[in-house]
Amino acid sequence: MKPKLIIGIVAIVGFTSLLMYNFGESISTYTTFEGAGERSTAHIPGTWDDEKEAEFSLETKRFTFYMKDEDGVSKKVVYSKPKPNNFEQADQLVVIGEMRGDTFYANEMLMKCPSKYNDTDPGQFTEAVEG
Amino acid sequence: MLGILGKLLISASFVTSIGAMVFYYISANKDEDRTLKLGNWLFTAKTTFLVIASGILIYLIFQHQFQYYYVFNYTSLDLTPRYLFSAFYGGQEGSFMLWILFSALFGFGLMKWTRAPYKAPVLFFLTLTQVFLLSMLLGWDIFGLKLGASPFRTIAEEMPNAPFLQANPDFVPSDGSGLNDLLKSPWMMIHPPVLFIGFAMMTIPYCFAMAALWKQQYHKWIGPALPWTLSANVALLTAIFLGGYWAYVTLSFGGYWAWDPVENASLVPWLIGTAGIHTMIIQRKSAIAQKSSILFAILAYVAVVYETFLTRSGILGSSSVHSFVDLGLYNQLLAFMLVVTLVGLGLFFWRYKELPSPEKESSILSREFMTVTGAMMLLILGLVIILGTSSPILGRLFVENPTPPEISFYNTWSMPIAMIMALLTVIGQYLFWNKHDAESLASALINPLLVTSAVTILSVIFGDVRDLYYMVYLFCGFFAIVGNAWIMIKLAMKNPKVIGGSLTHVGFGLLLVGILASSAYNEPLVDQKTANYNAAVERGEVTDEQGFKVTQKEEMLLLNLNEPIMIDNRYMVTYEGYELDNSVRRGQQTYKILFEPIDGGKPFYMNPEVYPMLTSSTQENIQWSVDPDVRTGLMSDIYMYVGGSSYVEQQNEWVKKNAEMMQNVASQDTAGIQKDSVNVQSFNMNPGQSIDVGNYTIRFVNYVQTDSTELPPNTTIGVRAEIELIHPASNRVITLDPLFAVYSENGQSYIFSPPAFASDFDLEFQFTEINPQENSIELTVTGLEEEYEPEWVLVVADEKPFISVVWTGTFILMIGFSISIFRHWGREKEKNSD
Repeated sequence: MKPKLIIGIVAIVGFTSLLMYNFGESISTYTTFEGAGERSTAHIPGTWDDEKEAEFSLETKRFTFYMKDEDGVSKKVVYSKPKPNNFEQADQLVVIGEMRGDTFYANEMLMKCPSKYNDTDPGQFTEAVEG
Repeated sequence: MLGILGKLLISASFVTSIGAMVFYYISANKDEDRTLKLGNWLFTAKTTFLVIASGILIYLIFQHQFQYYYVFNYTSLDLTPRYLFSAFYGGQEGSFMLWILFSALFGFGLMKWTRAPYKAPVLFFLTLTQVFLLSMLLGWDIFGLKLGASPFRTIAEEMPNAPFLQANPDFVPSDGSGLNDLLKSPWMMIHPPVLFIGFAMMTIPYCFAMAALWKQQYHKWIGPALPWTLSANVALLTAIFLGGYWAYVTLSFGGYWAWDPVENASLVPWLIGTAGIHTMIIQRKSAIAQKSSILFAILAYVAVVYETFLTRSGILGSSSVHSFVDLGLYNQLLAFMLVVTLVGLGLFFWRYKELPSPEKESSILSREFMTVTGAMMLLILGLVIILGTSSPILGRLFVENPTPPEISFYNTWSMPIAMIMALLTVIGQYLFWNKHDAESLASALINPLLVTSAVTILSVIFGDVRDLYYMVYLFCGFFAIVGNAWIMIKLAMKNPKVIGGSLTHVGFGLLLVGILASSAYNEPLVDQKTANYNAAVERGEVTDEQGFKVTQKEEMLLLNLNEPIMIDNRYMVTYEGYELDNSVRRGQQTYKILFEPIDGGKPFYMNPEVYPMLTSSTQENIQWSVDPDVRTGLMSDIYMYVGGSSYVEQQNEWVKKNAEMMQNVASQDTAGIQKDSVNVQSFNMNPGQSIDVGNYTIRFVNYVQTDSTELPPNTTIGVRAEIELIHPASNRVITLDPLFAVYSENGQSYIFSPPAFASDFDLEFQFTEINPQENSIELTVTGLEEEYEPEWVLVVADEKPFISVVWTGTFILMIGFSISIFRHWGREKEKNSD
């Protein structure tokens, strides 16, 4: 084989393995409060525990609420940004952050919404019929 | 009726498309003109059917025919005509229609301008892609096998098991569920059409490459394909820009780019298309790079189809904020993608041995080597982004249930690739226009390098850049700007028509510098106290109640009405209230926030908005949405959105109370609510400030001198406050002047603040404290019934430096590409007229 070809193959293999390694490092798996462990960017899906208080404090400038993860465990979540607009509507939340003691500190939060953009709740029709 | 006609027309369009495809195939195989004409005839018929079907759908939307699911789901009675029109492509089915319409339009262009032997095979492949796209709209049900989702399906067809439809099969909803409020934006009118123009045009280089492989004519195809590819690129770039700008000015995620899969879906085809442009230009000049031109042309369209598959098949699920609803098209989309990819790459490798190879390898210091390497870098960047976007599929190699990669994954890889590209653009351009050896190249580059170094050093000093990596990155970006501008000026003096390439590269350099400046040096605007707190958080000195280190910074600003706050030692920021306005959106509040630069610059207002999302709010719950305000400046933008306000809180409480009252009524619980009388309240006030409490307005006019005879002996401080008590209901204004004095007796200090009475209203005022630093007083009022609720607004404000450079870079890229379109298209036209 030509030396150039060997260098090329080595370069490609090297690049690809580095890329795939880094890719593998930068993704994680959706987990639960218990499984969050020490990770600083744990992704935890769950639902808002609306039986407990959710409020934005003007003093600490933090939004605090309780979320039930997929095991049904409810934990306090502290989010350092204003309360997202579609928070109450979301049928699923994903909080991204870290678990410290008994509290989850979320740096980011994603909401999955039954929005008009996606699909329609058939419940609306019944309302329309009654009205 | 019309719905059935619409369905029939789409089916007819599908069938005639297949017919056209067959005739084009025969014509391409036998080089026949008669079958080509038949194909064209069927293509025209297909397009006509589709245009009529689209017309019917638009008509149904404008007529509010809510028995059709598409009309019901994306429109409502209150939409203005322009949003009714954009609802046509607001959903998945309609956007497919728009895509095919553009594709058909460009088909006529290809019919007119393409020459043999490419004409028939190009049209064959174009029609092939349209057949696939049309199949998504069929809504056929063949023995339980569902093919496509028709935009003309009725609500009854969509939800056959819904109980209300079984009770009343002819039920028609009285109103639709409406267009998402976020889509009610002027950008909605323009962004999707431009994007689909780009997607439709990106099909054309693929068709040409396939035609070249089919007819074994590997060189001439780039003549007509190059201007089409350039146009596709400009369209995609415009769409990316419009999408980024739309996100920046209307969404609250605070930027123009978030590496979202849907954004990546337009970026990757653009990158690979750009790679194709580079190799086509080189192939035209020096008859090499045939293989890579064909490969890039195929891959650019494969990328379009693959990203379409990702965003529309439902596979991205929760990883994208705006992926489409899953219409059950997974298998069809998969088939489309596999056919495009396998036919494309299959034919490429089938002919691979035949494809011309360069006789001798080009040296490193040649325009061929530089340009092809640059194209490879573009391809690699595209592949890295595809890898990241594919995390729901490829991530399974590593973990179950994979999340999207962190944003840092994209940044880590794109930065060094972009830096290499920046260096290559300059060297490539120097070699493109002149032959150089290492020595002559080095001497030609001395001046640009000196200028680049100077600019880099200056920006490092003035921009306070401390990161070494950023310094190198900036150097690369500035080198691309300076080096390419240098060449451009020289070229412009000789022949301005050929500056397209160098101008584009200047735009690229600007884009790189702008992206770094605006993202890495994005600063939240906060007051001094918060800034100190954040600095302490950064040093790791802050712990919470439980003893854990706090890592989250505070990036919000709480503004009380008419209380100025100093921000970043540069602005006095004052919240001056909000205006309710129902003309644009019902219940919209426009907040007035005054910025006064303390260096004496011109004061300005920021006006972020908050509005209730009517389509998703209920009687128990208002869903609020925000519209940020962006103040665009040459040096930096200020970006601001509202995170909450006293008005929003009051509305929420009111709605909640109302809902509770309804429940109370229902349960016959009529217990009266005991109101707490708030007897004594204290307010901090600045001179000139007024506050509204209940039925009164209390104004602190100013300090007034006091007569020394009224003061106790040994007084050190003695001052009165002129207070106006305004009662708008009775149109009365009462002026009071409560006294505040400090006197000493037996070596101890005492405060003397006798109450002043407003006997008409049974109120008592005391001047209880003075804060010289803040120039404010404390006023204690006894007898008020209502509790004073301060008006406040919580905003998130960012300063983003040099976003203007990002836009300028993008515009220059567009202009550069457009100049190249004219140059290459002009030459094509000459050939056509021969």
